[in-house]
Amino acid sequence: MKRLQLQRWSSSVLSPRVRTGSRLQHHLYTGLRCQSTFSPVPQAENEPLTHEQPPVSPIPSPNSQKSKYTLPSPPVEAARESAKLAALHARLYLPSRLPLETLARSLVDASADPNSNFNNASLATLGHDLLTYYTSEHLICTYPRLPMAVVFAAMYAYVGPKTLAAMTREWGVEHAATPGGEVDPGFLQFKRIDPGTEIGEGQVNGTTRPNDHRRWRVSMSSRVVYDNEFGEPVQDPTKNDGLPRPLPQGVTAEQASANFVRAVMGSIYLHAGRPAAKRFFEQHFLSRHLSLTELFDFSQPARDLSRLCARESFEPPVAKIISETGRKSRHPVFVVGIYSGEDKLGEGAGASLLEARSRAAVAALKGWYLYSPLNVRVPSSTEEESSAPWKPVHVDLGEVIV
Amino acid sequence: MPVQGIRTVAAARNGVGAFILPCKRMDFHYCDWAGSSRGMVSFLKSALPSFAKANPQIEIRVSPRPHKHPVIKGHYINGREKAICVRNLEPEQIFKKANLLKEASGEKLKRTKKPVTSINDSVRGIWSPYHGDIKTV
Repeated sequence: MKRLQLQRWSSSVLSPRVRTGSRLQHHLYTGLRCQSTFSPVPQAENEPLTHEQPPVSPIPSPNSQKSKYTLPSPPVEAARESAKLAALHARLYLPSRLPLETLARSLVDASADPNSNFNNASLATLGHDLLTYYTSEHLICTYPRLPMAVVFAAMYAYVGPKTLAAMTREWGVEHAATPGGEVDPGFLQFKRIDPGTEIGEGQVNGTTRPNDHRRWRVSMSSRVVYDNEFGEPVQDPTKNDGLPRPLPQGVTAEQASANFVRAVMGSIYLHAGRPAAKRFFEQHFLSRHLSLTELFDFSQPARDLSRLCARESFEPPVAKIISETGRKSRHPVFVVGIYSGEDKLGEGAGASLLEARSRAAVAALKGWYLYSPLNVRVPSSTEEESSAPWKPVHVDLGEVIV
Repeated sequence: MPVQGIRTVAAARNGVGAFILPCKRMDFHYCDWAGSSRGMVSFLKSALPSFAKANPQIEIRVSPRPHKHPVIKGHYINGREKAICVRNLEPEQIFKKANLLKEASGEKLKRTKKPVTSINDSVRGIWSPYHGDIKTV
């Protein structure tokens, strides 16, 4: 029962992370919950027993089976006994400085345990920021001419929720059927959405944009300013369009998996430091295969190319037939090149002259947009000591404005 | 808008950056009474601790399966499982079977006809009949 007193009077003694929230005080009499991802605070033997609590109290000890069922997520000391968790730690080659308790915490979603001291929300926030920072600097420095829409799509492909959910599957993490204190901490724990609930993906009502109610056309510049890193509108919890829409109680498996991967990234950063987090990012995220040429979707490539040539003060592009066969046949093939003066910008083959010309224009535009300098450095490479001073990299204007 | 982005998911390439062992769990089933489990019981007593220590990324479960032949089951990242019956086998043979399950990818066995499979584009490019010199027959 000494632990109880520690909770009662130690708020000025303990560090803020060890201190438990008001919810814990509320839970104090239903089941003592002395958990933390920190190592347990040594209890002084000479603590004065200064309060009126009788020495025998109805609170069960945290190790007992009964109290486990009252907890919303597994107790901290269960992490050391879980074979599944230890196997996951070894499978990911996580640094030994990252304790199993933190890995167990990163597997607990906020929908399973709303107490922010025991769920992965804070770790996921940190990990999300790190992931988007590392990805965006990699994309912008490696491909300095990438159009903003393609940057958004590439960010989504590298660290979007679908990719993170796929990574959770590839890491061999299984989902718990329902969260609880008695569940093995090696399972991903989240509260599922009830069947039949409308998820409403893609249509966000009440965003953080000003003039949201006017339904203005959303330009790319405003997406950069107001929207999130994937170019999606951000839901504003304070606005609800006047509709009484109750917030969903659970989360989808995709959201929970994405939060878990982000939390792992955040915990590596906290426990093992910046270089380890960077290495983890390079090994698990940048090593994935993404063909950037397949992310472009042009509507009028010939018009864009002529605007681009005008902007860069090249000679206006001219399409010329390089070779052709079977013009009068059922399957003609035209090979068209687009030239600016003497230089061939691009080439494409098609079954009609227009098709071949637009393919050639697409090839020319991709050749421009996908320019990548050699030996590129990213800003975060200067964060370590004894790294070379930062030399600014070339970042282009971006796409043409038509 | 001049250009739109198409949303995809970056494809995993296990082993290019990090390597995740596809075998995530192994179940060892034995029987205390039956003679076909004799080798399995001695394997569990002698060799399994060192096997588990050498492969920390695999979760290992040992459970009795009375009046049945001993079985090793491997569970894989892709959701499949492989089971090998190890009745009447010696501990060394069982160790080989366990290693077989450990090193398996979990996919169905299939014949590979090409020496290299790759998702990258060919460096040389694809031959085109419309480029180069005109061929005379």
